[in-house]
Amino acid sequence: MSNSYSKPILPKPDTKRVVINVDGADVEVPDGTNLIEALKTIGIDTPHFCYHQDLPVAGNCRQCMIETDGPRGMGLAIACYTPVRAGMKVATDRSSEKVKIARKSVMEFLLANHPLDCPICDKAGECTLQDNYMAAGKHESRMRDDIGKQYKGSPEFRHEDSKGQERGGKHIDIGPRVVLDQERCILCDRCTRFMRDVAGSEQLYIAARGDHAFIGTFPGQPLDHEYDLNVTDICPVGALTGKHFRFQQRVWMLSKTETVAPDDSLGANITVEHHDDQAWRIMPRRNPDVNASWISNATRLQYRRLSEDRLASGSFRGTEVRLADAIERAGGLVQSARKVALVASGHLTIEDNAAILAMAGAFGSRVEVFGGSWLSVGAPDGIARSGDPVANRMGCKLLGVPDNLDDLVRRAGEFDVLVVVGHDLWAADSAKAAALEKIPERIVLASWHDATVAKSTLAVGVRAWAEVRGTMVNCQGRIQRLNAAPVAPSPDLEPVWQVISKMGRLDWSSELDAFRFAQSRIPALAGLNYRTIGSMGRILEGVAP
Amino acid sequence: MATLTVTQNFGKGAQDIGVYKSLGGYSSLSSRLFDLSQFELIDLVMRSGLRGRGGAGFPTGMKWSFVPRNSGKPVYLVVNADEGEPGTFKDHRLMLEDPHRLIEGMIICGWALGVRTAYIYVRGEFLPAIEALNAAVKQAYEAGLLGKNIAGTSFCMDIYVHRGAGAYICGEETALINSLEGFKGQPRLKPPFPAVSGAFASPTCVNNVETLMALPWILENGPEAYAKMGTPKSPGTKVFSVSGDVKRPGVYEAPLGTPLMEILEGKDYCQGVVGTLKGVIPGGSSSPALTAEEAKQANLDYEALAGLKTMLGSGAVVAFNTTRSVVGMLASLTRFYAHESCGQCTPCREGTGYADRILKTVVSGHGRDGDLEQILDLAANFTSSTICPLGAADSAPIINFIGKFRSEFDAVVAKNPDRGEPRLSKNFRPGAFWE
Repeated sequence: MSNSYSKPILPKPDTKRVVINVDGADVEVPDGTNLIEALKTIGIDTPHFCYHQDLPVAGNCRQCMIETDGPRGMGLAIACYTPVRAGMKVATDRSSEKVKIARKSVMEFLLANHPLDCPICDKAGECTLQDNYMAAGKHESRMRDDIGKQYKGSPEFRHEDSKGQERGGKHIDIGPRVVLDQERCILCDRCTRFMRDVAGSEQLYIAARGDHAFIGTFPGQPLDHEYDLNVTDICPVGALTGKHFRFQQRVWMLSKTETVAPDDSLGANITVEHHDDQAWRIMPRRNPDVNASWISNATRLQYRRLSEDRLASGSFRGTEVRLADAIERAGGLVQSARKVALVASGHLTIEDNAAILAMAGAFGSRVEVFGGSWLSVGAPDGIARSGDPVANRMGCKLLGVPDNLDDLVRRAGEFDVLVVVGHDLWAADSAKAAALEKIPERIVLASWHDATVAKSTLAVGVRAWAEVRGTMVNCQGRIQRLNAAPVAPSPDLEPVWQVISKMGRLDWSSELDAFRFAQSRIPALAGLNYRTIGSMGRILEGVAP
Repeated sequence: MATLTVTQNFGKGAQDIGVYKSLGGYSSLSSRLFDLSQFELIDLVMRSGLRGRGGAGFPTGMKWSFVPRNSGKPVYLVVNADEGEPGTFKDHRLMLEDPHRLIEGMIICGWALGVRTAYIYVRGEFLPAIEALNAAVKQAYEAGLLGKNIAGTSFCMDIYVHRGAGAYICGEETALINSLEGFKGQPRLKPPFPAVSGAFASPTCVNNVETLMALPWILENGPEAYAKMGTPKSPGTKVFSVSGDVKRPGVYEAPLGTPLMEILEGKDYCQGVVGTLKGVIPGGSSSPALTAEEAKQANLDYEALAGLKTMLGSGAVVAFNTTRSVVGMLASLTRFYAHESCGQCTPCREGTGYADRILKTVVSGHGRDGDLEQILDLAANFTSSTICPLGAADSAPIINFIGKFRSEFDAVVAKNPDRGEPRLSKNFRPGAFWE
């Protein structure tokens, strides 16, 4: 496939614009881009299955048909593979009956052999086949029992149903995370292209040919890759579904909150999808400059932790106390302490760390701020992870949080109160952390019942990453916004900055106060606000490493 | 007997290089070829008017002129010997009888395009032809006609015989190239065309066996002599594979423009039709058939057949008489195309099988009113929206057979007493879903 295979050319802000004629009207579109993208810029959505912005063009679904002028006059062509050139004529389904028929017939062909099991299909509601049927099909079925469907499936999974019809492969366990339904597959080739060209590990393939073709894994080999769940996102139908989300929720029940991955310093853009105060899944959110359309399985499964083992109240010397009491007690301890070690965290937002610095400033030399992480840093995988588990490491650096956890270990004896915020120090390196047990009062602000909470004398529950609004700076020097999803296990939980502000009597009323404080410390943040940061983030001037 | 340009060595034992040489073979190499510059040679082929014999009839010289020079990449020559069209068997015979002529043609083409490596992609089932080719290539190497510094020039060319794995679609040039590269044989999106980016992403010339085998004669006798044969727009001779209800089926070479009935009834050719002629498929299974009346007016050249809304294709003439069921013929053709659809793009993948299944119910006596209309509608819908012409190759016979022999199809449907029944599923029970 050495040459049938090129990435689509997407419009960029600086792409030259040319005039083309669409449905009889002259319009300006970005030159040289794939027509499907150019039409999008003028508000025309073209139904499609196989085309994906971040995958090489395959051009096999034939749904995005348009008419364009060639050497032999107007003729059908696929919008995803036709480049824009100045002066070209394009007819979409709005003006061309031929295009309308072509699109409608592709719908009929796809549905002819597709099982209509939408009521039990997990993709229903976000299924491209359903959407495109409404957009381009709406035909009466001409299928009858005696003609029969050619269901897709590998020989070992073919079976006969109760009506005597030969069926293909259903709910096949192809790996630790993904379930395959061969019958529903429309052979758009997205998953195989993803595994080959993005994941770089060809674990899925299309076997056989004609309407007998089917998707499968290689004999005896599972689908098992750190990015394999992405195939369930790009699957336009319910052929590939993730075990973590299968039959958990109907997708139309879910509300979406745009935020940023908390487990890696690339800060993959994600959407937390929630219903009834619970997060049900995380989906990638396309950002071409950060993670494209992909997230790792580790990031995707972060949502599970949001409702697992949460520290939803306070705990004082092993007994549960109300949150408000815990916060008040923590404030009192810090106020009356001789010397406080305050550990800031790159796992938290700029706002949270700003509050930590502000409190330290308010207490003067009695409080010393420490920072850094004992977690090991890996290498970037080139897809959606930088390998650094400390998501906001860059933001902490910009704020001036020192990287000196090891100093704290050496000087533990100098302090009588330790405040650890949003860190699991004992899990990261219990040997080093053991020295901190010399400090008599250990206050921990945490979202989970982790090893550090277990070693604390006073623990205060705080909101987790998905439940707060704030900002982080990723490893590219891009400031990105987190938004709060209503999924906190207890309504009493507060964000870290708010707890700190109460402990330090900062009198801050919202994360904006924290952001203003951060702006006073970081010149690159000048003039920004949450709206101008936008959903895709912004590169900070002069920060890029 | 007309002049033969391709099949003159049939039956003479030309598989052996000595015999081939004694019949005048490889003389172009010692006489003219290496005195012609590449441009002169391409110009010569253009003047001969030779058109691709694989089916599309694209002018060969022009195809060669599209291959870029000095692109920094090697130029590949790929011989399309994946002859798979039902009714076509000329290339098999040609390679079997005269493999050295193909090699000579490849050397000529190789010189014209600066080819260093050439492949012969042979249909996997053609074992005897593959053996003949391998033996001939070996002999040509031993005679110093292939390999390094051919005939004392700086020109070097290697030929590899590559055996296909049995897919009709691999006769499509980009699918062939994918298969050659080791990928699944599925056509590529175009552009880029193979002339610019073909095998191994390099400029590639894909030519049919017969096209290349015409070159030695053209070089020896001059392009003008070749252009004098045939018709002005379709010059030269063409090899026809004639099968079906004729007295002497086989491979015949005739000048283009020869009347179809001359091929079927002429004493040099098939010597008559068996039974009463009902129709003729003039250019392989994907060309629309002609009725007996149309066949009487038809001349076998690209333009005349286009005028009758069919095509010369690969020159596979299939005659059928009145004892043959057109319904059965169409059913076996649709089964073939549904089986050979590569499965890449939607209309052909799902449509050919869908149409075939409906036709199957018609043939088995369960046809309903409206079935034929539905088949025609489906066929029209997978004609022009596909990546490659396989969809069109299936829809052409469907539309043509049902159109021209409608009464036979109607008669088959009429045998079903339930043909007027509504099209509801027999398992359909209102409200069954909620039970």
